[in-house]
Amino acid sequence: MKPEDLASLADKQRAINAACKHRIGVCTESGCVSSQSDQIAAKFNELVKSRGLQKDVRVVGVGCMGLCGNGPMVKIDDGAPMYQNVTPEHCAAILDGLDSPLGNPQLRHLLCDLNQPFFRRQKLVVRSNSGLIDPEDINDCIAHGAYESLLKVLTELSPTDVINQITLSGLRGRGGAGFPTGLKWSTVAKAGGPSKFVICNGDEGDPGAFMDRSVMEGDPHRVIEGMAIAAYAVGADHGVIYVRAEYPLAVKRLTRAINQAMRHELLGNSLFGTRFNFNIEIRLGAGAFVCGEETALIASVEGNRGVPRPRPPYPANSGLYGCPTLINNVETYATIAPIIREGAAWFAAIGTAKSKGTKIFALTGAVQNTGLIEVPMGISLRDIVFDLGGGVPAGRTFKAIQTGGPSGGCICGQNLDIPLDYESLAAIGSIMGSGGMIVMDDTSNMVDVARFFMEFCMSESCGKCVPCRVGTWQIHHLLDRIYKGHGAPEDLVLLKELCEMVKATSLCGLGQSAPNPVLSTLRNFESDYLALIEKGRADREAALSGPHDSGTTVPLEVIS
Amino acid sequence: MAWLVEDRLKPYRAKRAEAYLTPEIKKLVSEKYFPRYPTKHAALLPLFHIIMHEYGYIAEQAIDEAADFLEITRAQVQDAVSFYEEFRLTPSGEYVVNVCRSIACELCGHKDIIEKIRTVFGIDPGETTADNKITLFEVECLGACEQAPCALINEDLHGCLKADDFAVRLQQLPAAASNGHGHRH
Repeated sequence: MKPEDLASLADKQRAINAACKHRIGVCTESGCVSSQSDQIAAKFNELVKSRGLQKDVRVVGVGCMGLCGNGPMVKIDDGAPMYQNVTPEHCAAILDGLDSPLGNPQLRHLLCDLNQPFFRRQKLVVRSNSGLIDPEDINDCIAHGAYESLLKVLTELSPTDVINQITLSGLRGRGGAGFPTGLKWSTVAKAGGPSKFVICNGDEGDPGAFMDRSVMEGDPHRVIEGMAIAAYAVGADHGVIYVRAEYPLAVKRLTRAINQAMRHELLGNSLFGTRFNFNIEIRLGAGAFVCGEETALIASVEGNRGVPRPRPPYPANSGLYGCPTLINNVETYATIAPIIREGAAWFAAIGTAKSKGTKIFALTGAVQNTGLIEVPMGISLRDIVFDLGGGVPAGRTFKAIQTGGPSGGCICGQNLDIPLDYESLAAIGSIMGSGGMIVMDDTSNMVDVARFFMEFCMSESCGKCVPCRVGTWQIHHLLDRIYKGHGAPEDLVLLKELCEMVKATSLCGLGQSAPNPVLSTLRNFESDYLALIEKGRADREAALSGPHDSGTTVPLEVIS
Repeated sequence: MAWLVEDRLKPYRAKRAEAYLTPEIKKLVSEKYFPRYPTKHAALLPLFHIIMHEYGYIAEQAIDEAADFLEITRAQVQDAVSFYEEFRLTPSGEYVVNVCRSIACELCGHKDIIEKIRTVFGIDPGETTADNKITLFEVECLGACEQAPCALINEDLHGCLKADDFAVRLQQLPAAASNGHGHRH
């Protein structure tokens, strides 16, 4: 594609879009598809045809609109009105109300209040096009600005300029650790070697996290564009997107997007007539959480067991096939195009002093509004839970919020007012993580939660290093014993010691962070542990002093 | 007691005459994947994804054939293949039901789903029904927590499951012949 072709293609598609009076956007991401949003789209198409509205109304499948818990969602024109919990039976009435800007009054119960804090308090940077564009149609994406940033980078900026922009923006890795992205890019750019690679880490495996899935399904071209800009900046010509095989729809959308981009010569050789070549391929994971760790991911792409190796050397110097390799998370790449388009200063103005920009979170659990939110860094957890999330369901009380999945911690009510940024979360024993947020109410037992996450880490430990392989098993064993009422107060001391050991001596991030859920619940919810231990002790005593024919059996081996 | 030593030289299983790595598969991998990587070894995961898709599991013979094809040792193939949960070394039924056991699903009753399948179909996770129709697995997060509890039936996601309804849906799955996207040709 020549540089001038992009603008003309965009204009052409915008004219096509504008010629159509109404656009009905039906969410076609995994969540809504599983509640039959594909049937809704089919029904709309059928009705449009039978009513002879083909000229005026276009039905498009779009990406996530955020409020996944109320899906399927249907959006009219550029966002208003928006209907929730739609079924195929509602389609006719929605069509009837197309010309009214407030929607069909008969469907008032389905109208989504766009002025509620859930929408009002979000700031969409990465997800700005999600829910607007048709992710399966590259022309529609181009009409909404896709690949403009790539064009600007290739024709106006040098690789050093790009890295400077990213550094100035203050962007930090969205995979969880928060490493400064500009610094990582400049390290790879400086590394020598005949070839370099750019890898997109889409092995999102944290329980309770689905931001990356949504970005890959809802706006795949933005990920591709971000990778291409990164490749230009660091001097790579080959990209790999590593996606979990559990995300079939994301794989399908990405594959389609890559094929379309190749046909439009937005991937391939001599992009926009420059000397820059870039190709991307998709690699599927095969059900191993540890492959989200960068060195394990590289081992997996090379065709080996996905086990991590000690660093240094870091992948930036010696990664895939020993070549310098840039690995970033899906969300990080998806943030690049907006930064280039709007400027580093614009991005740096959002967020806090050390954590810039916005972050997507998957809000789930005991809250009214579940789904995806993109908020500026620095917002408080209280605002997220009680304002955006609408609080815990009636009749229950808030107990904890878990961030960062199995690597993060449980945050109690007292800490809800801390600003949401990398450092503040680390200070209270949790992590930003990839963005899972699970709200728990008073019915959740924190020992059970800790045990759940430890069981996950135990089964996902690759087994290469001893502290993680054996340590997670022992911690799980202790937690299980306490949960079942067979624990003793000394167990808590042992548990803490064991956690500190696993944290300090494990080889990779999986083991180093696995104890976090236990340590944070021990610190914030020790009463849950003590109550279980005390209850177990009381039960045993009662059984021993009670009549022998009560039928209660007492496990006596328990305090070993 | 003497050690029981398995004779590794004897044919260790029923060998089928027809190769698992058909000429078509070999051609696909040779043309699509080999040129991209410095080693043939790197095409291991894509190759086994193809084999999984084609046969629904990985036969031991396929591991042997893959070792020859990728020019690495059988141990190297076994090492990698046995590591990944999605590569199954035993045959699955026509429908693979992957029930999510992640935290959100756990909180929303994933155990009821497993329990229901156990009573209705008589299978535990990892097992296949006698009629070879359904194989049940528990998997890690499917990334559909807002629809918890959820499960994949082959590649289709089903969310907001209720144990009774889901069991009925499984019972109503069409038989093998009309199953559009099953494996095993």
